[in-house]
Amino acid sequence: MSAVAARMSPAGRTALLVVLGALAILFCIPTVGVVLSSLKSNAEIVAGRLWWVTQGFTLDNYIEVLGQRRIYVYLLNTLLVTAPASMASIALGTLAGYVFAKLPFRGSPVVFIAVVAGMFFPAQILLVPLFRLFLHLRLLNTLWPMIIVHTALGIPICTLLTRNFFAAVPDALREAAVLDGASELQVLWHVILPVSLPALAVLGTLQFTWIWNDFLWPLIFTQSDNKRTIMLGIVSMKGQYLVAWGVQGAMSLLATLPTLFVFLRFQRYFIHGMTMGAVKG
Amino acid sequence: MGRSLGWWRVALLALPLGVYGAFVVWPLLSSFAYSATNWNGFRLSFDLVGFDNFRALAKDPLFAGAMRNTLIWTVAAILVPNGLGFLLALGLERGVKGASFLKSVFYMPVCLSAVVVGQIWIWIYRPDWGALNGLLAAVGFPQGERAWLAEPGSALFAIIAAWSWQQAGLSMVIYLSGLTNVPHELLEAAALDGAGYWRRLRHVILPMLKPATIVVVALSVINSLKGFDIVYIMTGGGPFHASDTLAVLMYDESFKRYRMGYGAAISVVLFLITLAVITVYFRQLRKLEELTA
Repeated sequence: MSAVAARMSPAGRTALLVVLGALAILFCIPTVGVVLSSLKSNAEIVAGRLWWVTQGFTLDNYIEVLGQRRIYVYLLNTLLVTAPASMASIALGTLAGYVFAKLPFRGSPVVFIAVVAGMFFPAQILLVPLFRLFLHLRLLNTLWPMIIVHTALGIPICTLLTRNFFAAVPDALREAAVLDGASELQVLWHVILPVSLPALAVLGTLQFTWIWNDFLWPLIFTQSDNKRTIMLGIVSMKGQYLVAWGVQGAMSLLATLPTLFVFLRFQRYFIHGMTMGAVKG
Repeated sequence: MGRSLGWWRVALLALPLGVYGAFVVWPLLSSFAYSATNWNGFRLSFDLVGFDNFRALAKDPLFAGAMRNTLIWTVAAILVPNGLGFLLALGLERGVKGASFLKSVFYMPVCLSAVVVGQIWIWIYRPDWGALNGLLAAVGFPQGERAWLAEPGSALFAIIAAWSWQQAGLSMVIYLSGLTNVPHELLEAAALDGAGYWRRLRHVILPMLKPATIVVVALSVINSLKGFDIVYIMTGGGPFHASDTLAVLMYDESFKRYRMGYGAAISVVLFLITLAVITVYFRQLRKLEELTA
């Protein structure tokens, strides 16, 4: 409890709690609306009873969505992009972060800033050249461009966070290992990484969430339905369920479950990563 | 020893810098080259047109509109989600019961994808059974009802409101982490001197929050320049381009109208604006470091 709070009157504290609680309820309303919609029949929603007492909840919307083969294709594609791209970007960022933290050289701060600056630019700057590159390589409409681009775009944040974390690991640990004959790669693997697991957890949650939620790159790189990822997939499935609001709600919720789980489970890491990435940037 | 250290640096950096160089730096630089062409996206050949794309941009009302909208978005992004995040952080910092639960509630939208946020808010803005019109009718102000996303006058602001809902939590946690840096001794001393909460806020807390403010303002500007997904999903830039941002216009020109060269020209403008913003940002950060060092 902070020093400011200590002097607050009980009445003042209650009032503050009421205001914050009311705001929290307001904040939840949009999300609650989607949850409700997914559990109600379309007739009820159209009749304007989305926000009102219901005649009863139904799982029909979920049964409808889960009966669609497409949804599994989208989910599998998303996983096949998200898992390798998250791991690759963290691995590459770790290598670079180690050099910038423990083996600095003349000019390395400039290189470091050039790498980190990458996370600030809108992706639009890369669209045309990357589209042409993958057109040439005949990789359009495969999962490869998404895996590659997400790996590359993840390097700035991964380098930034690992460098900051590794810098806090005492140099003496590295020096002792080097004297024992360890190579730099062995130092990184056996000495630095075991004490840096929180940083890796932060990056894992961030990268997983961003890549899972991505909409732009599949929009650019895929044309056929069986290569789409989940976020683009549910947008295109809306065409099929144009006025089936409940089904749309169920799709959104299913698409959100993995990131929601990660958020709830690793919330501390997630928030820490977002602030660290923002503040130290 | 020194030699082998150099070898290790090269070996460890080769892969990350190689991938970053090939798929970020090189495309970034070649955007400049494409901006001087009339490439249409599917033919492999194209002509050089020099600065024609930029000359056309200067006369393009769609580009002017997108610039204006991006500017509006930037100003709103600085004020609304940051203001809200600031107030939430101040409230939560005062040690109310359940503060960490409330914090999660306010932060949760940050982990939602733009697709889902867009969908949620499209429903809120629906003219027929949307929650906003329903609310206006319920409080006895039915003349305020409208098709929020379908009218040029309200579309952009409706999207910004949805976006602010998602972003406020991010500003909040940055302000909260800034507040933990406010030294308690200073606050206690001020309180002993008889300074009430508002005076402490103004003379002790606010000055200490300057770094956090620089960060959230810079992030807001950068994120509004990136503003694409949520606009694309909610309105596609419409109606009649009323909610086009630079990022949306860039996509439309390149991938809907197949004017890749023209789109690249827009992306160059976007790059230069972003570069200016982050240069100022890094300068401010360095100034702060000098002050605190």
